[in-house]
Order: sequence, then C-alpha cells, then structure tokens
Amino acid sequence: MSLTIAVPKGTLLDESRRRLANAGLRLPEDVGRRLVLDDPESGARFLLLRPSDVPTYVEFGAADCGVVGADVLWETERSVSELADLNFGYCRLVVAGPRASGFHQGRPLPTFCRVASKFVRSAESYFAERDLPVQIIPLHGSVEISPVVGLADLIVDLVATGRTLAEHDLVIVDEIAPSTARFVVNPVRFRAKYEEVTALLERLQCDV
Amino acid sequence: MRLPAGTRDWLPEELAAKRALEASLRGVFAHFGYREAATPSFERFDVIEAGLGKALGEESFRFTDRRGTTMALRPEMTTPIARLVSTRLRGAPMPLRLCYIAPVYRYEEPQEGRMREFTQAGVELIGNGSVEADVEIMLSALEALDAAGLPDAHIDVNHAAIVDAVLREVGLEPHEARVVKGLLGRRNLVALRAFCAAHGTPSVQVLPELALLRGGEEVLERLLRYVPHPRVDGGIARLRAILARAASISMGHRIAIDFALLRDFEYYTGLVFEAYVPELGFSLLGGGRYDGLLGNFGFQAPAVGWTVGVERLLIALERRGGIPAAEDAAAQYLVAGDDRVARALRERGARVLRALGGSEEATLLAEARVRAIPRIVVAGICIEVLDGSRCPVEEVLAAGARDGLA
Repeated sequence: MSLTIAVPKGTLLDESRRRLANAGLRLPEDVGRRLVLDDPESGARFLLLRPSDVPTYVEFGAADCGVVGADVLWETERSVSELADLNFGYCRLVVAGPRASGFHQGRPLPTFCRVASKFVRSAESYFAERDLPVQIIPLHGSVEISPVVGLADLIVDLVATGRTLAEHDLVIVDEIAPSTARFVVNPVRFRAKYEEVTALLERLQCDV
Repeated sequence: MRLPAGTRDWLPEELAAKRALEASLRGVFAHFGYREAATPSFERFDVIEAGLGKALGEESFRFTDRRGTTMALRPEMTTPIARLVSTRLRGAPMPLRLCYIAPVYRYEEPQEGRMREFTQAGVELIGNGSVEADVEIMLSALEALDAAGLPDAHIDVNHAAIVDAVLREVGLEPHEARVVKGLLGRRNLVALRAFCAAHGTPSVQVLPELALLRGGEEVLERLLRYVPHPRVDGGIARLRAILARAASISMGHRIAIDFALLRDFEYYTGLVFEAYVPELGFSLLGGGRYDGLLGNFGFQAPAVGWTVGVERLLIALERRGGIPAAEDAAAQYLVAGDDRVARALRERGARVLRALGGSEEATLLAEARVRAIPRIVVAGICIEVLDGSRCPVEEVLAAGARDGLA
C-alpha cells in the first residue's frame, strides 16, 4: 500500500518538494499542468491542490495525508489529524489597519468596524472572543487595498515579510497567531496505512 | 419541492439493497441471541441530555410541545435503550441482550457518510461487566461486518480506563486530562507537543509518543515501559483477553490497539473500539463499555455495546462494486384475463403482475419485455417471453404444486 499525498500549490510547494525528496519521495520539479503525479519508484501519488482544498481532500480520504499551512486548517475546520509542525512557511495571521488610524497605538476599535479578510472564520472568532461586534467583509485576494480605497477599516491577513503591508501604509494592530506548514493525515488512514504514514512522519521530521 | 438538507429518499432498488443488508445484520443479532427493541423517534430532551451530556445534546434536533416541554429527535439509540432498560426492564433476568435497527437524527453539516437522518444498527449487552462480555461484543461486531460483506474490515481498540490512569500517572490534573484527551482523540500532535512543552513536567513528555502508539499486544508492553507503574492492569488484561480470543478464531490480525482511540461520547468507561475499511476515510462502526450510563437513569448496571451506520456500510459496499444481490422481487408472471389464474399462481408462491391494458398477446409480450417479466399468461396459455414456447397454464400450476414454481 502506498500513500496518496496532497501537496499545496503556491508558496509551500518548493519546500514541500524538498522535504518529500529528503523522505525519499520524488515530486518532479517541472509539473507542467498536471495535477496528479505518480512517483513510480516509491509508489507515492501526489495531488497538487489549491492550499485551501488540501484539508478537504484529506478529510474525505481522497488523499491519505498532506502538507498544509496552519492558517488553512484554522479556516477550514476539517477533521484531520495534525501530526507534525514542519517548521517552514512561517508567517503570521494579523489584524492590520492604516497607519493614520492609530489603532496600533491603542486607539479603541469602533463598534461595527468593517474587517476585510480571506480568513473569515479566524477573523470572526478573534473579534467574538473580544466581544467586539464587527462586520466581516469576505474577500478572495488583494485584501490589503481594501482600507486604502475605503472598503474596510481593518484587515485580517497573513504576513510573511510585512512588505505588502508597508507598501499600502498599513501597520499591525495585533498578532492573532503564527502559522507554519503542517503534516496532516486522515484519521482512519492513519490506522489503515499506519506503517507508511508513521515512516513518512518520521522522515519528514528528521529534516529540521 | 426540496428535501431538507441531510435527508434522502429511498427508491425501490436502493431500499431493497438496504433491507437486504439489514436482514444480514439481523441474522447476526439473532445468532448471538440479541432481541430487537424499539423506542420512540423523539424523547424528552432531559433524557437525551442525561445520556449524552451537554455537547452532544447540542447536536440534536429539538422542538417544544404545546406545554413547552423540550423534546429532541434521538441522536443515537444507546441512551433511549438505557432509559428503556432502567425503567421497564430493570426486573428482567440479567444480562439483557438487546438490538435495534432504527433511524436517528443529528443536526450537523451533511456530507458523505454523514446525514441528518441516518440508520443505526447495534447491540447492547446490559447487566454484565466481565471480560467475556467485552469479547462477545467485539466478536459480534466482527461477525456483523463479515455478514455485511466486509470480511476485511479492521477494528482498532483501546480502553478508556488505561488512558485515564496514564494521564493521572504522569501527573495531570483532571482539567488538564480533559484537554489532553481532546487532543489525543483528534491525534493533534502539534497541539499536544505544545501542551507538554508548556506543562514542563518531564513525565508528561511521553504523551506525544503515546498518541502515535498503535499495533498488537506489543503496544501494551511499550505502554508499560513508557509509564512504569500505571494502575492500568484491569484494562490491559481486558485488551489481552480480547486479542487472545480473537486470535483463537483467526480474527486476531483484524484487531489493533490504538492508544489515541477515544470515542466522542462521554459515557464510555472501559473498552472502546472502531471499525473501518481502508478505502473509506471515516469509520463504519463504533462501540464500547459504558458502565455509568444506566446509573444516570437510576439503575446501576454495567453495559457494553456497538453501533454501525447502515448507510456508511452501503457506501463501503457500493465502492466495491455493489451490494450482494437483494432477493429478487421482480414479477415472474404477467397475467391477463382470468383472475382465478393469477390467484392460483400467487397461492403457489409466485410473484404475479396483473395486466391492466387488455389481453392482446403482442401487447402483453411488449409489456413483459419492458418490465423484465419472463412469462405471460393469456387465455389459459403460458408463454415464455424469451423463446415464445408455450404450454397450458394448468401444467404450470400442476408443476408449481410439486416444486414451488421457483
């Protein structure tokens, strides 16, 4: 029995490929437009997916396991087992606002302020925990322009270097949580393919 | 005209497959001496809550009657059975062996294998706390999966008391143990490692390794190595007994110990187990020992049982190219004209469709072909649809009296 592994396209792809290679699984460098790739040597099958789809494939068992950012796990709330922090793809989920707003210097947030985000659930629970009624504005990209053009008062977004924030004259108001890549597995496949999954887990963790 | 989310209709062929599966489960229940009981579809909410606790009570569909009493559609069958036994069967000779096949209702996000109305089949062995009872329950679960057509289904087992003892032994306070059990059950190693790092005590650092522990009897030895003097002997002895009995009937290879297996329901106190097949991403069957549950209804009695999702079994069977053929319910004769002929055939056990559109032979043959009926009867003559051969219907009736027509 060999493993079907969900791999996120985008920023985590290159490092995922390197970690998998160290674990003896070869995901080709040039994948072209293919989304399903087999490694004949190890027998592993890779599914190249949108990062936010990785937990879904794993929960349903279409993939046995996968690599995915913690931020995606918080947002999708799929029941998958988080077996390891792979310690790469470090970024932070933050609340940010325009420098001129003064929110970062302690000026209280207005009630019902407008918060634009791709991370709707994380944003909702952050403000709910603080008993602050806000209006969440779901967006799918370019969130950082929303305060500039007057769509939102605040954003909740991932920050890696902080350059994008700076370019739009935004500053961090609060850090919600740091995020890194995680190795996740379908809870039943953990049992059904115990030897394969734990062997891969061990080899992925060796490399830090 | 839309169905409520998470519900479904059953077309005749679909229902035939479900009924055939239920019949094979009932066969296993009968072979083990379990008798079927039924309870109402809804209960007073306080009954459901007494059995399941707050969290799962939240998943129930609730409504109020005209007096304002809160009711709930039953989200599972173990609690209603516990109520039934504590009230009306407490004087019955123990142990009681009861089974059920019944729809249950949960308010959760519908997805494959998770509907808002689904069918549970299961057994409850009440009034006996022995190892033998645990073994009987485990083996009946394996037999049921075999009978359902999944002889390669595997079962993972654990013992709630072992986990509780280990968590006490490594020095966790009850509220910390609850958190850790939540993380163990979801096998969230990342959060578990963070918890252990924050806790700091050297003894708790074994927990992440325990969360990955799974296998045969050797797992119990390793457990004792990790946690030198746990008060876990009873649980370990039970798991050993179960593995030994399963091995004695060549089912040992289908059972593994998984230290992180913890069922959702709060009521489990001892053995817990779950069954799965490799190609499905969710478990099919689950169960365990719940010695405290009946006490919630004022009747102290140990109990152990399991339940299986009938629709989940059907999904597993469909993925393998179909349900074992349901007993063929298609009609065998299309009869025109004489009502006495139709009646005589039915009396001999045949499935007979009465032609309602006249008695012209060509029309009847056409209808028989559409409905896949092998024979038509018209004007006293029985005609084979396939080759057109014919004989007087009296001959068929006479032969039917001899060999049952089938």
